[in-house]
Amino acid sequence: MSELNQAGNSKKHMGLKAKQRLSNSLVYVMLVIISIVWLIPFVCIVLQSFRMESTGRVGYVIPQVWGLGNYTRLLETNFPRWYLNTLIIALVVAILQTIIVLCMSYTLSRFRFKIRKGLMQFMLILGMFPGILGMIILYRVLDDLGLTGLHAVPGLILVSVASSGMGYYVSKGFFDTIPKSLDEAARVDGANRMQVLNKIILPLSKPIVIYTVLTGFMGPWADFVFARYISQLKPLGMNVAVGLQSWLATDTMVHDNYTLFCAGGVVVALPVAILFMCLQKYYVEGVTGGAVKG
Amino acid sequence: MASVKLTNVKKVYDNHVTAVHDFNLDIADKEFIVFVGPSGCGKSTTLRMIAGLEEISGGTIEIDGEVVNDLQPKDRNIAMVFQNYALYPHMTVYDNIAFSLRLKKMPEDEVYERVTKAAEILGITEYLLRKPRALSGGQRQRVAIGRAMVRDSKVFLMDEPLSNLDAKLRNQMRAEIILLRQKLDTTFIYVTHDQTEAMTLGDRIVIMKDGYIQQVGTPTEVFDMPKNLFVAEFIGAPKMNIMDTKLFKEGGNYYVKPFGVKIPVDGEKGEALKSRGVSEQEIKLGVRPEHMSLFFEDGENRIPCTLEVNEMMGSELHLHVLAPDGTSLIIRVPTINLSTAQKKQIKNGARLYVGFTGQVMHFFDRKENNNLLV
Repeated sequence: MSELNQAGNSKKHMGLKAKQRLSNSLVYVMLVIISIVWLIPFVCIVLQSFRMESTGRVGYVIPQVWGLGNYTRLLETNFPRWYLNTLIIALVVAILQTIIVLCMSYTLSRFRFKIRKGLMQFMLILGMFPGILGMIILYRVLDDLGLTGLHAVPGLILVSVASSGMGYYVSKGFFDTIPKSLDEAARVDGANRMQVLNKIILPLSKPIVIYTVLTGFMGPWADFVFARYISQLKPLGMNVAVGLQSWLATDTMVHDNYTLFCAGGVVVALPVAILFMCLQKYYVEGVTGGAVKG
Repeated sequence: MASVKLTNVKKVYDNHVTAVHDFNLDIADKEFIVFVGPSGCGKSTTLRMIAGLEEISGGTIEIDGEVVNDLQPKDRNIAMVFQNYALYPHMTVYDNIAFSLRLKKMPEDEVYERVTKAAEILGITEYLLRKPRALSGGQRQRVAIGRAMVRDSKVFLMDEPLSNLDAKLRNQMRAEIILLRQKLDTTFIYVTHDQTEAMTLGDRIVIMKDGYIQQVGTPTEVFDMPKNLFVAEFIGAPKMNIMDTKLFKEGGNYYVKPFGVKIPVDGEKGEALKSRGVSEQEIKLGVRPEHMSLFFEDGENRIPCTLEVNEMMGSELHLHVLAPDGTSLIIRVPTINLSTAQKKQIKNGARLYVGFTGQVMHFFDRKENNNLLV
């Protein structure tokens, strides 16, 4: 009897295992398909950037003649300048935005002041309007300040940093999950508010700090619309996105510059890809951490 | 080491809820004072106002003669132990304890000396390099105490430090706090909702309710002479039995008549009533469960009762009995005084008799619930 039972159990067991294996395989197949679809454009761009036999668009993917010529050609164009512009904007914005966002989030999470609720609601409503609506007026203001065209870099930094306080939601949510008694203990121990933030809250919020730095960096790095409008296509005031697009403005230009454009695209994508690969663990924790950490 | 003085201290929250009303208290240097009361009575709020973590809506708080109302917590020279320990999770035990010393920019060898000395006293030396999450509740609490200890602060504040521990550990830590107090010899303010902790730890106890102080006194004072019905019922476990009855005079002596049984108020209590000339009136009569005697036969001054619930506590029984009018009373009976035959008689529904003398009675007026003899 017991043998029969055992046999029955093991049969059931096998059934469960097989089911598990089947559903796992299905999930993996789906993931592989999604990854391939997602990777195709990127692979195409990388392959095109090594194509040496022609410079325009062609009907095949794998180059006939391979070489690094497109990459060396990049150095003879304005590309290094655009790259530098973008790097300066992205780094400065990432640093300033992180400082502002973290201070803002800590303030809204820990301090209770009269206009706190009103301020948060105001920013929520303000955030519902697309930023693009303010583009024209922002351009006028920046133009009056002389921060457009050739001097678009400080102008773009100003625009990104000025509005960064509004992106406090995620980090405030994270700070809210850190017990207030830790702040209180530190304050009794002799720390002022800044020391509490630096020595207690930030070390406990590494994922969210990294998330804030990454988003601060990524915004300006990939910015196109604002950058194009404010730089007014002045070659020395452009960032990479605007610069690269300017190479493909007409059909003749596409014919001359397509592989060059692909090489530029790869160089632009590289630092971001490396950054994400190194920090993705923290990035995911940062985005979801505030929600589940009890 | 310092005295603490609270004068007319008030706390009103933004939503106009008053958490603490006119709190007046002088805490002497090196005194161990305990704030006790049910949740929401304002005891933690008062402590947090002393710590500077909560703004003071009115009145003044002085530490060592200096008004500290507007001082930041860091400038008040106090140490505090929190209910949930509040250890910094990213730091080792050593760094947790050293945190305040390093903020003061103390030389690292002195920091080392102080931290290791505190760890030795608390028996946590072997855990100094661990992170708090690798410690048990009791060990974490020790670290929290260690963090407060190393600072040589004027006042030591403790906000329900034992309520997150299990019962056994709580008893052990209670004893350790008594020892710690002897070693540190500083002013302690301790908040708890547990009257046993209050009674065993405090030099004086402050009993609070709804933001008002009900009574301030030594454990003996508040136990023997509760100022009002609230204190009488709050202090002591199980709580005091309360019976509605009349206090009346016959032939110059006072009597009470709970459940129709006439009992003379003899001894010191009778004399006290006489010397105060207390008038005849309807009262609430209080008698503690341990001051009631259990009888198995009827006799003079005994109240006939029916046993409802029998709680066996080991060395004693807590008997919940119903008086003739349905009032529930609790009696504490040491099992050592009971014969085997008597133990057998104690079963639900059994008829038992309860007696008590005038010496153990407490008299509260019906209107204000105040003790007639305080």
